[in-house]
Amino acid sequence: MPPATPSRVLITGVSNPLGAEVARRLAVRVPWLFGCDVDDPVSALEDMDFVHADTRSSVIAKLVRQLKIDTIVHLAVIVDSPRGERATHETNVIGTMNVLGACAGPSSPVRRLVVKSSQAIYGARAGYPSLLSEEFAGLAPVGSPISRDLVELEQLAHDFAVRNPACRVARLRLGFRMNRQTSLGRYLSLPLVPTFAGYDPRLQLLHEDDAAEAIAAAALGTQEGPFNVAGDGVILLSQALGIMAGREAPILPPLGAWLSGIAIRSTTGVNLPAHLVELLMHGCVVDCSRLHTEFGWRPAFSSMAVMDAFAQGLTEEPVESPSPPQEYELQVYLQRRRRGERNGPSPRPLALTR
Amino acid sequence: MSREVATIYEAGERERRRRSRDAKVVSERALRLPKRVRRLQRQAPMYAIQGLSALSTRLREMTGHEVIDMDRVMTLVQFAYRQQMLAKRGPHYAVDEFGFDPEWTEALLPLFEILYRDYWRIETTGIENVPAAGRAMLVANHAGVLPWDGTMIKTAVFVTHPKPRHVRALVASLFMGMPVLSWFLRRTGQTVGHPDDTRRLLERDQLVLVFPEGVRGTGKLYQDRYKLQRFGRGGFVSTAIRAGAPIVPVSVVGSEEIYPMLGDFAPVAKMFGLPYFPVTPFWPWLGPLGLIPLPSRWRIQFHAPIHVEEHPPDAADDQNLVLALSDQVRDVIQQGIYDNLKLRRGVFV
Repeated sequence: MPPATPSRVLITGVSNPLGAEVARRLAVRVPWLFGCDVDDPVSALEDMDFVHADTRSSVIAKLVRQLKIDTIVHLAVIVDSPRGERATHETNVIGTMNVLGACAGPSSPVRRLVVKSSQAIYGARAGYPSLLSEEFAGLAPVGSPISRDLVELEQLAHDFAVRNPACRVARLRLGFRMNRQTSLGRYLSLPLVPTFAGYDPRLQLLHEDDAAEAIAAAALGTQEGPFNVAGDGVILLSQALGIMAGREAPILPPLGAWLSGIAIRSTTGVNLPAHLVELLMHGCVVDCSRLHTEFGWRPAFSSMAVMDAFAQGLTEEPVESPSPPQEYELQVYLQRRRRGERNGPSPRPLALTR
Repeated sequence: MSREVATIYEAGERERRRRSRDAKVVSERALRLPKRVRRLQRQAPMYAIQGLSALSTRLREMTGHEVIDMDRVMTLVQFAYRQQMLAKRGPHYAVDEFGFDPEWTEALLPLFEILYRDYWRIETTGIENVPAAGRAMLVANHAGVLPWDGTMIKTAVFVTHPKPRHVRALVASLFMGMPVLSWFLRRTGQTVGHPDDTRRLLERDQLVLVFPEGVRGTGKLYQDRYKLQRFGRGGFVSTAIRAGAPIVPVSVVGSEEIYPMLGDFAPVAKMFGLPYFPVTPFWPWLGPLGLIPLPSRWRIQFHAPIHVEEHPPDAADDQNLVLALSDQVRDVIQQGIYDNLKLRRGVFV
């Protein structure tokens, strides 16, 4: 029988703002928190043990067994990246496969798995219904490489959940988030925004805080299956541009995602992935009623409020607070000390064993 | 900071007004019109209306009948005013999940009202069969090359119903992908003809308009006018049963004559990915002029609702029942078309 509350939680892909926020929220709610990523964490968190580990290699399985992890929050899924198709496929699909491998088998201690996915799984087409429910993913053929990756990794997670009923798997399809790092955020904060002539798509956005809260709630809960997570209501692209005070330039010809993506990159320098170019033409809105009923929670920010918050945040000076190197070193030292306290003093210094 | 405030208060009335929070932004042009001319400019529309109404009264007295109808003039004035208000409303207006902007649609309706009253001189009967609140599905015949009948049913319900309601029509997904059209259709409340969308709209207690004939209806030739085509596979009936919505059949007469389609030039249609490429006496020979619909006389009849919601929801899977109900709706509409054709005095007069 799985324990009612998770006690040892591992977050993969913790070294980005979303991962840091999730870790901050989980740190106060669970006794043991571990994080792993290939890069250093963006901010030091005293209550989290950080390990450099790559989900793309099977080392993650050893890590899970050794640390007796019972809950994995798998955030190492790249949706919005300037990197190439190959690299993201490697991280998304192979990485998820390794994480699932770590959870599989009767000897595995893992009882709960939360996989981050994205609204990009649906793609955007003219013939789609206005609101997409969870069952709609994978029914229609999708074009962009990210969407294909997401369909594949969710299929893997679904198959895993069917074969391993002891482990409860939730897949969160997060809406598009707005900040200075996402390409949608950079695109909308341009002074002159190239758009498709004759289209005004509906966008649905998700605030960073809501995304982190949803992931934290899922990690502590027992809900299974796919969930759409996005802000209430929609915002039209023209409204978003009005809020950002950007000027609309309807110059893009409807020539397919690839050519239009190149046109946007060459005119503005913003590298939009193919699924976002599709979104700017047809828009994509999901139905979050499953999230509302099963989690009993709905995002605090509506799509319009997300856009307002983003526009307001841009007028303020960004507070860049990467931990200074000494502080990082300090955290590592404290971690080691705490680990020593937990496991009891090691019988003899490491140097003697060699 | 306090010094600045002090200077403003010492500077006198003129300076205070210039710096106040409510100050208007005025361009610093070297050449500004004198104050009196500017005031005249501002009040010009009002003077124009007053003059026109005086002229209208004088003409009525001279000729004995209405030459300038002030009602129509005021409709246009109202239209212009609402458009101005729309331009000023800023980006924070509310749009529902389907992209429907009611304020924008209502500001555009006066134009369609003119088409409704003066161009096609539409007579609407049975409007009381459209429920004043709650969900319902309107099912109508589809004709004319362009879907003007949809816009006119929308206008009829909004203008003549005692409690004005917006009708949400379902559109073929093909049109939802077209550049300007998709933008316009979504703005005015239309959505994709997908069972999921229909169900969601009905669950939100909306009036949904369905054309089960689809492009088979709009793309039929003039010689086949007023002959109903196949009603799909009765999918609209199952959706109505599942959502518990009554079906209100609607017969439209007159839409067949707006573009008399003499032929269908299929190769061109195939080239552009369209369902049909019409050839009428005016299109494509006269270019854009051929797009002007002919001023036929229309009649719209809303029939008594067929209460399919009395069936249990799992009756939606009973193909026999669904097809029987679909045929019942089709017969009511066809009969309504024959009745209204008899009642119509002439095609164009």
